[in-house]
Amino acid sequence: MRLPWLARFGLRCLVGASLAILYGPLLFTVMSSVVPLKAGRPDWSTVTFAWYARLADNGEVLEALTNTLIVGVGAVAASLALGTIFAFHYHFGRGAGREIHQFLIFVPFLMPPIVTGIALLIFFREIGLSRSLLTVTIGHTAMVLALVYRTLLQRLQTLSPSLIEASFDLGAGRLQTFRRILLPHLASAAAAGAMLAFALSFDETLITLMVTGTDNTLPLRLWAMMRTGFTPDINALVTLILAGSTVLCLAVARLIRP
Amino acid sequence: MVPATRRPTSAGTLAGIAWGLLNWLPVLAFIAAPLAGFLIYSVFSVRDGEILYRPTIVNYQRFFIDGLYPSLFLRTCGLALGVSALTLALGYPIAFFLSQLRGRMKYALVLAFAVPMLMSYIIKIYAIRAILGSRGMLNQLLIALGIIGEPSTLLLFNLGAVLVTLSVILLPFTILPIFVALERIPASLFEASADLGAASWATIRRVVMPLSRQGAVTGGVFTFVLALGDFVTPQMVGGPTGMTFGRVVYSQFGLAFNWPFGAALATIMSVVVLLAMWLANRSGRVPGAAR
Repeated sequence: MRLPWLARFGLRCLVGASLAILYGPLLFTVMSSVVPLKAGRPDWSTVTFAWYARLADNGEVLEALTNTLIVGVGAVAASLALGTIFAFHYHFGRGAGREIHQFLIFVPFLMPPIVTGIALLIFFREIGLSRSLLTVTIGHTAMVLALVYRTLLQRLQTLSPSLIEASFDLGAGRLQTFRRILLPHLASAAAAGAMLAFALSFDETLITLMVTGTDNTLPLRLWAMMRTGFTPDINALVTLILAGSTVLCLAVARLIRP
Repeated sequence: MVPATRRPTSAGTLAGIAWGLLNWLPVLAFIAAPLAGFLIYSVFSVRDGEILYRPTIVNYQRFFIDGLYPSLFLRTCGLALGVSALTLALGYPIAFFLSQLRGRMKYALVLAFAVPMLMSYIIKIYAIRAILGSRGMLNQLLIALGIIGEPSTLLLFNLGAVLVTLSVILLPFTILPIFVALERIPASLFEASADLGAASWATIRRVVMPLSRQGAVTGGVFTFVLALGDFVTPQMVGGPTGMTFGRVVYSQFGLAFNWPFGAALATIMSVVVLLAMWLANRSGRVPGAAR
């Protein structure tokens, strides 16, 4: 569609300004990670990688990073397994029960995180499960499940039923049909869903704050440090994380793209 | 549809029952039960630091009788609506611009708007706070331009700062659903509209906007819900005047230690969220389209 030049110019300015606002804060962090401090203020005239080296000695942050990775892997594994089962249940099943089932899967994702967090916190207390990385993993799984489920279900719905019929006609059993037809069809959607779920879990803050005990994940550690004062090696860590999430995002885009 | 005998699972058999359990048990145990428990907790109360497991409406009474809570709640709803309005006003034209691009450029720019969604939430708040602070970049820029004489403290630690920070963080969440909706509009409709003599503005108003309404409503509700429940952003950039409902709810699970009251406040928040989703579902439908 041809727009008048003034409208096109205005839209370009808006997009440019928005990108500057979105990336400004991130750029600020990345730049701060490579300059030394002189008398407490950044010295912008030189470049140093000392903060990256110092990072290896920051035990608290490394522990938080390990916790985050444990929770992320756990939540991805659980949501992939459950998401696949639930997507099959919806796609191949029948009846109104499926809609209720699907609605329940979406609830923790649609509600404000504080509500999901409170509901789980109360639940864990009442069943006597003390707060730990396990409760954090359950919380993350409840939230990212909807996303993995939806990605898998959407892909499942593009599969022609005749392929499954053909597989059965050729004498394949259920397991064989699953392994030879369904699994390859779902693989890239599962990978995309897994990466998205991992990225969300990695950054999840609000539910985690409600359901964690004494274990810190990285966002919680960063939040605590934000109140007491950052050390510049945090900028280095964040830069590395930003690089990682950019790569992850590009990979997801590649996988989702038909 | 796959014939019943050939579905990967069939009900009635032992395997069917196991399959049903496998599907319903996790959902009932970890989603439905916590939700039910949370609603039930909202009618309990606390005495001497112990939770009394007896139904009472005292929590809801306290919300409505103490004038502080309803006004704070309405103010927070207003804040969340403001975030939605701001992100929609910026996000809609951006999404439209993206949908009009072609090839590699389009792909790259859409990704550029998607990537910040996955980037550290806490760090974004921290950096925005550093930019808005009294020694921050924005103040230095304003002084350099001669707009203000000395660093302003009005940029941070108030409700306005919360509005700006949440809008920056949530902008990508609005752009993507609108972009997806715009992408679904067949190119032939643009051509038809132009062939019939419509100017580009008329095409936008009569074709593009009605057909992308669902996306705009989805994005708007999404940001509204996230802004309404957030308590970390208001705490970090809001200061004492930037008090929000989410912060009060969160404090019931910390220092205030009144879980039942917190559950009641969160229930009230959930009612508004459900109402917003219901309204969105009604108004988001494409007019005249069969459903």
